[in-house]
Amino acid sequence: MFDNFDSMSEALLEGMWTTVWVTLASFVIALAIGMVLLVMHVSPAPPARWAANAYTQLFRNVPLLAILIIMFFGLPAIGIRADNWVWALVGLGMYTGALVGETLRSGINSIPLGQAEAARSLGLTFGQSLGSVILPQSIRVVIPPLGSLLIALVKNSALVSAIGVAELTARSRRLIEDTESRYDLWGVIIGVTVGYLLIALVFSYLVRIAEKRTAFVR
Amino acid sequence: MSRQGETTVLFDALGPKGRRNANIASVISALVIVGLLALAAVGLAGQNFFEASRWINPLDALVVENTWVPSIIATLQAFALGSVLALFLGVIFGFGRISQFGLTRWVSTGYVQFFRSLPLVLLIWISFTIDGHFGFTTGTLGWSGEARRLTFLVVGLGVYNGAVLAEILRAGVAALPSGQAMAGHAIGLRHGQVQRLVVLPQVLRNMLPAVLAQLVILLKDTSLGYVITYPELLHSADIIGSDYGNSYLQALIIAAAIYFVLAYALSKLVVLAERRLRKKTAAPLARVKQIEASAVAD
Repeated sequence: MFDNFDSMSEALLEGMWTTVWVTLASFVIALAIGMVLLVMHVSPAPPARWAANAYTQLFRNVPLLAILIIMFFGLPAIGIRADNWVWALVGLGMYTGALVGETLRSGINSIPLGQAEAARSLGLTFGQSLGSVILPQSIRVVIPPLGSLLIALVKNSALVSAIGVAELTARSRRLIEDTESRYDLWGVIIGVTVGYLLIALVFSYLVRIAEKRTAFVR
Repeated sequence: MSRQGETTVLFDALGPKGRRNANIASVISALVIVGLLALAAVGLAGQNFFEASRWINPLDALVVENTWVPSIIATLQAFALGSVLALFLGVIFGFGRISQFGLTRWVSTGYVQFFRSLPLVLLIWISFTIDGHFGFTTGTLGWSGEARRLTFLVVGLGVYNGAVLAEILRAGVAALPSGQAMAGHAIGLRHGQVQRLVVLPQVLRNMLPAVLAQLVILLKDTSLGYVITYPELLHSADIIGSDYGNSYLQALIIAAAIYFVLAYALSKLVVLAERRLRKKTAAPLARVKQIEASAVAD
């Protein structure tokens, strides 16, 4: 069943590695975009709020696969070219960034009004009440949903196989479509499944640690 | 309370100077945004992006009739079948996870955890590959290739989203105060009756917005049919774009716009359902909101 086990597991491990770094790198991009969106969402300038809203709606309602295909196969028509892994990071990052922005905003909104009012009535300035009262509390609130976004990103990263990035799904595809058919179908399927389960397990463990670290008793 | 109120409690009410500054900031940000859009438009025009023929060709009446409309129907078909399967599996395994019987609980938990951690594209593609591996044809199965591809897409969508929905429903049960079930037991209902008459109706009511939000995601995920060449919207746009070489990007953008309209309409329905059906149950609203927020991630 596991013919040529050594080369198969080597290829799958490389794919797992690619999946992990694509996920982490695009999550960093998504966090950056999400924070910019958050600032725009709460800014007093209406045009900034509209722009943030338009961005969020656009990326929430168009399928990720369509975004990736447009970026990698479509944009060269208007002279914009980049390597597939660049588009993978940009596409995943921009898509997840919209969700991160919404998560952060609902995190700030979930802090009871009384907290901000108390801070203001103690005479703290806007910066102080945001920095030492609101944000520390909202970070704790947003860690669990951000964690589930990260785990969803692991799964979404499989879509970049459609633009030829050699992550776990693409690797297993190459193994199965091997020209000399050296690898058994079922062996590869079990391998790729175990690979994703392992990644999900490790990531959810890390998320749980982060949740425990930031949890507090009210 | 308006959204405005939620986000501006941190500020002092603006005085004359502050208002002037805010206005200046508005104007500047508007100028920056318009400027960026204009810059993009000029750049695109320089590449003949807006050339009329590039947009008109892929929207030729014949193409619309023979490709766009059937592909939208194919997308909606996969969406409808996938949703039905996902809801069915979601209810079964969602309540299976809180069953009285250890084995049922164990199997349901295994199902949910397993399928929730695999990428949907892998599920769809693997069933397609297995089919190809055994070299099934219409002759051996009496089942056409396109019908089989639809089946793989629907089963993938159903099995994956069923696991997600099961989790949403389970969380909905957990969010319901335990007094509800206790009261049911206290008046002499059996376990099954409590679940059916007291718990399920309230959970469905509470979780309807979250379930609908997941269905919006399912609608978007029908685009994964592209990977197994099921003739849904994205795949058809790809083919149309290849036929009219100059309009490739335009065809993809038209498809994206159609997805946007479909998904946006469905998500408006979510908001409507939220307004209608909230209230009237015993679950705390904040908890329900939280479940909904974490569900959107999948």
